Amino acid sequence: MNPHVPHATHIAVRDGHILGVGTAENIDGWQKAWGPLALNTDFSDKTLLPGFIEGHSHMMEGMFWDYHYVGYYDREGPDGTVWPGLKSIDEVVAKLKEIQANRKDKDTPLIAWGFDPIYFTDRRMNAADLDSVATDCSVIVLHASLHILNANNFVMEAADVKGADNSEFIRRDESGQATGEFLGQLGYYMAMRTTGINLLAIASSPETLVNFANVARQTGVTTATDLVNPMPAGSENAMRQAVDADDFPMRLVVAFQGNSMEPAEGVARMQELQASNSDKLRFSLVKMVADGSIQGFSARLKWPHYFNGAPNGLWYIEPERLGDYLKAFTEAGIQVHVHTNGDECTEVALDKIEEALRAHPWPDHRHTLQHCQMATRAHFNRMKALGVGVNLFSNHLYYWGDAHINITMGPERAARLDDAGGALAEGVPLAIHSDAPVTALAPLFTAWCAVNRLSSGGVTLGNGTQNISVEEALYAITMGAAYSLKMENEIGSLEAGKRADIAILADDPIEVGAEKLKDISVIGTMVGGRVHINQGRSA
Amino acid sequence: MTHIGTVPLTIISGFLGSGKTSLLNHLLTQSEGRRITAMVNDFGALNIDAELIAAKHGNQIALANGCVCCSIGDDLMRSFMEVMQQSPLPDHIIIEASGVAEPSRIAGFASVDRQLRLDGIVTLVDAGAHNVHSNDPYLADNYAKQIEAAHLLLISKPDLADAATLENLENELAAQKPNVPIAQMTHGVLPINLVLGLNAAEEIRQPHEVIEHGFMQWATHLPPQPRAALITKLENLRPHVLRAKAVLQDDEGAYVLHLAGGRISTEPHEGKASGHFVLIGKPQMPDAAALEKIFRQNEAA
Repeated sequence: MNPHVPHATHIAVRDGHILGVGTAENIDGWQKAWGPLALNTDFSDKTLLPGFIEGHSHMMEGMFWDYHYVGYYDREGPDGTVWPGLKSIDEVVAKLKEIQANRKDKDTPLIAWGFDPIYFTDRRMNAADLDSVATDCSVIVLHASLHILNANNFVMEAADVKGADNSEFIRRDESGQATGEFLGQLGYYMAMRTTGINLLAIASSPETLVNFANVARQTGVTTATDLVNPMPAGSENAMRQAVDADDFPMRLVVAFQGNSMEPAEGVARMQELQASNSDKLRFSLVKMVADGSIQGFSARLKWPHYFNGAPNGLWYIEPERLGDYLKAFTEAGIQVHVHTNGDECTEVALDKIEEALRAHPWPDHRHTLQHCQMATRAHFNRMKALGVGVNLFSNHLYYWGDAHINITMGPERAARLDDAGGALAEGVPLAIHSDAPVTALAPLFTAWCAVNRLSSGGVTLGNGTQNISVEEALYAITMGAAYSLKMENEIGSLEAGKRADIAILADDPIEVGAEKLKDISVIGTMVGGRVHINQGRSA
Repeated sequence: MTHIGTVPLTIISGFLGSGKTSLLNHLLTQSEGRRITAMVNDFGALNIDAELIAAKHGNQIALANGCVCCSIGDDLMRSFMEVMQQSPLPDHIIIEASGVAEPSRIAGFASVDRQLRLDGIVTLVDAGAHNVHSNDPYLADNYAKQIEAAHLLLISKPDLADAATLENLENELAAQKPNVPIAQMTHGVLPINLVLGLNAAEEIRQPHEVIEHGFMQWATHLPPQPRAALITKLENLRPHVLRAKAVLQDDEGAYVLHLAGGRISTEPHEGKASGHFVLIGKPQMPDAAALEKIFRQNEAA
């Protein structure tokens, strides 16, 4: 990503930074001033790329590894253990039975995660499935979307699930009986109230943060984001302690949850947080969430709305208040990333950004739309004009591409889902992301999604104009993401003076090509000059 | 089902500027002995008199009258977790929903928590802004959902609208929600039991009639009477009767009757029926003498 030296054979590192990149000859000269450089040939047959930057993930990715993974795809844990994918509801139930049979404290809640019913079209998981695992303790299966969970009857009795009023959030069968599926925060609330396990506290613990960093490291990530955190008073201290530890293998950029307090207080809190920035921990931006998700039918869409006729989605904040926050942060010179999924929401967010910029002109504000999955070319064009960047949720193409074609968007609009090609064509600064733990954190996989636009059902979304090249995708997961975080002068490319953050790959992505991009093995990373080697193994 | 040990939950819904904060301020400061915990979007806007504030830490303000106010900070689940882990639990929980919240979604919390029960959803409709809100290009669907979910519709800022506008608005709302009580509210001021429920267990020494903030409250003792007859009498008082509660006896045993959110329900009462009967309604409701006549008719039946 270094335009002056796009390819090199040698790289020299000093004091956590890159001293030089180029040929052995180029590098040699540095020894006069800096003393001898020891030649390390451990990776001489590997490919070194700038460390990958995950511009939209959540540290919550690290919290589930103490529980049991029951997802459809193989998934690699923080210790390199590969958890095999489970290909049917029966396989999931069998796995849970095995876990229950083998664990010591059989009365404690059994919690599993990563379950994705979108792959099981014949039927849905129900309470009877989980009752077959255990009837005398809580059994809870969290879905991959994080928006739904399944519970057994033990949980439902403990919660006293009652009334038919809220059938919208409690799935019921034809006879009105709760099936054990709970939507939205309700399910999580019920799970916490009945098990006494405070997932909220676990989600923000230092242990979770370390797990998160290790999962990210396995995939070549050297900087990741925790893209929305309310940062209650003093919470930065524990975070700082964890991240600044020498063996913490990653830089972390935390986005402060804008509407966790009133605009003026939020500005003050951000300024306080920024004062505690370090080399590895940054509080540089604010996140605002404006609508829900497409697959959850809670994204705000323009007419004609959802393909299956579902009612339009939800605003997560009043547009007027979104405008108030944008004005306050823009005035204070604080960058804002706005979550918008549906095209109506994208349009409103752009309106509000424009209003804020008219009130408080700020060249290079670099406000960014996150997800922004249904943006049209007209939206990208407007983003370019306003100086707004985009970070697209390219993993969606694979995980929910088929659902978007058949259920949520219909084939025509699904073609423009996460239109990276369109963004670049209109000149919008581009990053792409996983939104981990919503989908697996792995920038090479995300790049593969943006390059190939292939759904898990094997369908290609779009007509080719939405695809980007391997080079463009690699740029998006390094410099593109660095730019979105206003860190492009520090990280994202291998250049003299920048931080020595490197992804060590078994193969050269350009040689491997588009189709196999996702299959490249990550050997390890270097973060600030310190090497972290991956240790893969199978569960 | 009895509700012993459960905390009633009231959700105050309505658009930005519809008067939610004024109403909340009134409920918190005139709490009449209830220890209310209110979850709000913004403390600052509440503007509670400094002398009423007993303590303030982090995202909580404790009032001298036992009420607590905590900021939701865009994380309702976290707020519920914090509030429901308190000991003792509050007497009543009020949520000031955001202007775009779907109150029925918030109500869902009560259906998965043994210790919570939904008392009602109160939706505020700004008399002067109704036409703007119901035609908002981005929010009209949301506005309709808030009205649809209501168990009590309060028309706010009636003083800023002319009589014809108010009448049209009431008619429109009544057509949309035929059984839901509709009342007007100025500056958030109304009898708090209209919003938070009647407490028939409160000692009623003698029958009395109170006019408070333009609403009429009538309390009395009634002799045993069949629940079906009582229900019919209440039905006949619609739409002027807004809330009622009775603890009475009939041939089947002691029962509690509630009229709330336009719905009349009865449930068995454990123990002896006190005969308490409380009614709250609009000024158009028949006066105490007329009510006496209605509710004592055929009392031997």
